[in-house]
Amino acid sequence: MASSPGPLLLLDGDLNIVAVSRSFADTYGIDGATAVGRPMTGLGDGEWDVPTLHTLLKATASGVAEIEAYEMELRRPRRKTRCVVIHAQRLVYLDLKNDRLLVAASDVTEARADAKVRDDALRQNLILLQEVRHRVANSLQIIASVLLQNAKKTTSEETRVHLRDAHNRVMSVAALERLLSLSGEKGVELRAYFEELCESIVASMISDREHIRLFVTGDSGVVDARVSVSLGLIVTELVINALKHAFPEGRAGEIRVDCGFRGPNWTLTVMDDGVGMPSDPSLVRTGLGTSIVGALAQQLHAVVQNSAGNPGTAVMITHTQIALVDDGESPQDDAVVPVANVKGS
Amino acid sequence: MRTVRTSTIGETLLIVEDDILPAMSLRDELRDAGFHVLELTERVEQAVAAALDCKPALALVNIELHGRDDGIGLAREFKLMGIPVLFISGQQEKARSAKAVAIGSLAKPYHPKHMIGAVRYLLRHIEGDESLPRPAGLEVFDDHPNGNGAVPEAA
Repeated sequence: MASSPGPLLLLDGDLNIVAVSRSFADTYGIDGATAVGRPMTGLGDGEWDVPTLHTLLKATASGVAEIEAYEMELRRPRRKTRCVVIHAQRLVYLDLKNDRLLVAASDVTEARADAKVRDDALRQNLILLQEVRHRVANSLQIIASVLLQNAKKTTSEETRVHLRDAHNRVMSVAALERLLSLSGEKGVELRAYFEELCESIVASMISDREHIRLFVTGDSGVVDARVSVSLGLIVTELVINALKHAFPEGRAGEIRVDCGFRGPNWTLTVMDDGVGMPSDPSLVRTGLGTSIVGALAQQLHAVVQNSAGNPGTAVMITHTQIALVDDGESPQDDAVVPVANVKGS
Repeated sequence: MRTVRTSTIGETLLIVEDDILPAMSLRDELRDAGFHVLELTERVEQAVAAALDCKPALALVNIELHGRDDGIGLAREFKLMGIPVLFISGQQEKARSAKAVAIGSLAKPYHPKHMIGAVRYLLRHIEGDESLPRPAGLEVFDDHPNGNGAVPEAA
């Protein structure tokens, strides 16, 4: 025991010192030779005379308790306070009248300080990240306002439509960045995000067309930031598309954005009750919006399905990561990872 | 007996925003909507001078101005001058922390059309008129406004 690498004390049942390991003497600046035979509370300058420790050791000596890890501060005059973790157990010898108590005292000061530095750094990083996201949202608002000014000033109707679409795309990302700057590492609540997105699209595209209603239904769920930015852009494209094509000549109707979550699987549906898609597939125009939706869905390992509503059109984006037993579906994704970690590659 | 205005058109607004492009876009949209928008300001002294010159019915104030959170101090000054303030900052938490000196907050990124809705609503709200629906995204800090000296009269 004298040469044990960890600081150790051997006490008798009355908490008098029987032996002090060399590392204990070195670590805590104790003269081992003079300590033996004296009460443990008298060690050093009395810094080990801690009432709670004393009580715990007493309880351990009488066999009613065992100290697994009692953390305490060792306060010494003119020396730095150390952070110590105590472990104590009773040793029962059949040939001895008195029991022995083996006390291990690990100095964890450095480890605790490192952990604090790490925690502080982590917190600082988070604050910086929020600040960056806030700034990104502001920068995107600058770009969005230029696009909007541009749309107002142009004389070409076609250009105006393109600029408004671009404005909506920028705003969808800006809205997400702002939500992320508020939510921190938790990710974004998708339904609330879609509601905000739809508000923005309504403001820019249907203020003069009040016969069209746009709303969000479905589950609440949180996905990773990279997934939510893509989903936001998909919703933006699909809603813009429905607004442009589903309700010609002042036709009234509604557009519904629906989100569904089942564990790591999710489904996003945008449906309208408009005129529906042309029956001749060659008449279906594939614009920038369609290719954006296809590309983003592919990036999210999701499948796009177009179907005719009754009336109208429904576009469903499905991400199946784990086949659920009662769904009877096969997995489309080989890698089974939590949805929060899905990386768009 | 005071008369409650039925129209907010033509009311004077002051924008205090150091991001010039969103400020211009906002100014143009509000002017198109029929408001009288004062020349853009981006600093506290400038904004106070403009407000003394031509008392606006509402000031739209960004919190961070040239890297400092001067917007909150400005809102405090405007409150003393009897000018209601709407925060137009992305920093919602800071806006909420200063709710004693402003009447509401519409966070960036906003669509200028939403800002028009918020301004129309608040101008009525100041007069005690709650006939307009509260626009989405607008946080209202004082549910019983008297910041403009306009106490709604008991029926």
